[in-house]
Amino acid sequence: MGKQTDPDYAAGLIGTAVENGANGFLFSVSDITLAILRELKKRDSIDGMALYPIVPYAYEYVRLATQVGGMPGLAKVFAKRLVSSGCFRVMARGLNGVLRANPSSLLKAYLAYELNRVEAAAGKEAEVKSIILHEVVVDVALALKMEWFFREYWSFTVKRSLFPGFNTCNFALLVRQLNDWHFSLDDVVIAAPFNKIGFQMNPTKQACEEALCSLPAPGLVAISVLAGGYLKLPEAVDYIAGLSNVKGVAIGISKEEHARQTFKLINDQLS
Amino acid sequence: MKVAVVGMGKMGIVHSCVLHVIPEVEVVGLCEKSRLVRRFVKKIFTKVDIVDDVEKLAGLGLDAVYVTTPIPSHYQIIKAIYTKKVARNVFVEKTLSNSYEEATELCSLARRYGGVNMVGYLRRFYVTFRKAKELLLGGALGELLSFDVHAFSSDFFGMKQETPSSSARGGVLRDLGCHALDLALWYFGDLKIELDSAKSLNSGSQNDILRFRGSSPTGLTGSFQVSWCIEGFRMPEVGISIVGAKGRLEVNDDLVRFSPNRRRESVLYRHDLNDNVPFWLGLPEYYREDVHFVEAVTLATRIEPDFASASKIDKMIAQVEKLGGLNG
Repeated sequence: MGKQTDPDYAAGLIGTAVENGANGFLFSVSDITLAILRELKKRDSIDGMALYPIVPYAYEYVRLATQVGGMPGLAKVFAKRLVSSGCFRVMARGLNGVLRANPSSLLKAYLAYELNRVEAAAGKEAEVKSIILHEVVVDVALALKMEWFFREYWSFTVKRSLFPGFNTCNFALLVRQLNDWHFSLDDVVIAAPFNKIGFQMNPTKQACEEALCSLPAPGLVAISVLAGGYLKLPEAVDYIAGLSNVKGVAIGISKEEHARQTFKLINDQLS
Repeated sequence: MKVAVVGMGKMGIVHSCVLHVIPEVEVVGLCEKSRLVRRFVKKIFTKVDIVDDVEKLAGLGLDAVYVTTPIPSHYQIIKAIYTKKVARNVFVEKTLSNSYEEATELCSLARRYGGVNMVGYLRRFYVTFRKAKELLLGGALGELLSFDVHAFSSDFFGMKQETPSSSARGGVLRDLGCHALDLALWYFGDLKIELDSAKSLNSGSQNDILRFRGSSPTGLTGSFQVSWCIEGFRMPEVGISIVGAKGRLEVNDDLVRFSPNRRRESVLYRHDLNDNVPFWLGLPEYYREDVHFVEAVTLATRIEPDFASASKIDKMIAQVEKLGGLNG
């Protein structure tokens, strides 16, 4: 196990980040990140920390699909997980989803299942702000113009007082499509690449910046701000500081010193 | 342009979605064997005909078909597409087929029925590998002397026994090593293959680690290493190092490093090579690849990598399999 995936070490890193101004944790929901949440809870470090889980953990599901024989095999594994969750409502929705081939029921069952896992690990003190849909799901739904999908997801989150959250590599298109469907973007979280060199800002950096300006309120959680290590932190933060409608910035850290420098600088420049 | 996609696994979904956003394209048909998957797909892909047999796509007036099923099924499906007159233009995910004999037959069918054909060797659409090709074509390395290619993933790392899906994917050489072979073919032309070693990590019928050598008629020689059981590769990675009379070139999914003799090396990352696309799903290369095929169908022009080029990869794979005793 790498150091960063050791829950004890990772919880220490997050603690350092919080001491230096971080106030949220954006993470893919996996056994490792759930163990980190449990460790944070044990240390009483989770109070007031805004949690932004991203689901599904695409890498794990793709790898699993590889090993269990594609989509049908994956569906069986998922069904077993829903059953073993022990939550009657989740099981009922999941069963309904499979028997009636109802994607809407399956979506809700899946979201409830993941939310339960996060809440069970983090405890009642934790503040889950959103349950963010992974880019693979969002961008598929976007390509296919699945308005019903966005509506079902929106109603699921709003009912639970969560922000609708999306992770996407097509920020400009997502904003335009949500506007076309008349969703209110006042209270939304969109985690998307934003960086000085326009890396992964599709179709163009300019289009993404214009879409950001068009939001009625801060809704962007900027990711890939360092463009995968291409940019130095000061220039990366400088660029983000010049943007409007930024709700937050998510940066991966692996060392204590890194956590201290990164969040101190971000806190100084963006707060 | 009317298109159908056969196979609704990961690649089928990716291509269906990317095709949906290309303005000239209309996805009108999908084909999937699994009843469970078909039932869900019907709810998601509205206004699309969904069938369980590729022959049932005939009559939809298709301009092209994408085949994204497991490799062992490619031959029968493509044969049916041509002979049942489902469509004249065919895109198939790599590899072209499960054997060189089948690949050769598919090439003959493609010639007989005409149309555009293409095999989805995605690495050719990476900005880094394209830049390296440009440098090679421009003679930046001078005469080529040697190369080393690797293709690694963690897909089956730590697996104690062979899984059905490793066979369904056609073995490590067809699943992953074919990218290394395709890039070598693209960069260096035809190669003769000789096996160094082949190993199964779980005493199964599939090789998990392969080492082999390639040599060209011009005297260029190089080595290949392929494995899907290496720790630490969240994403599969393919990389090539090439030595020439004028310097050295290293290229992988993320960068191109050019080290001319007696001059400072230069490194270009993805970031420097305009990697953005109008629509990104998973990777930017899928969009470039699909647009490449769609444009060729629209203009009725031959494109690379086509069946003929891809059959050479099946030939090299067959050479390794013959020498190694086990399946790719």
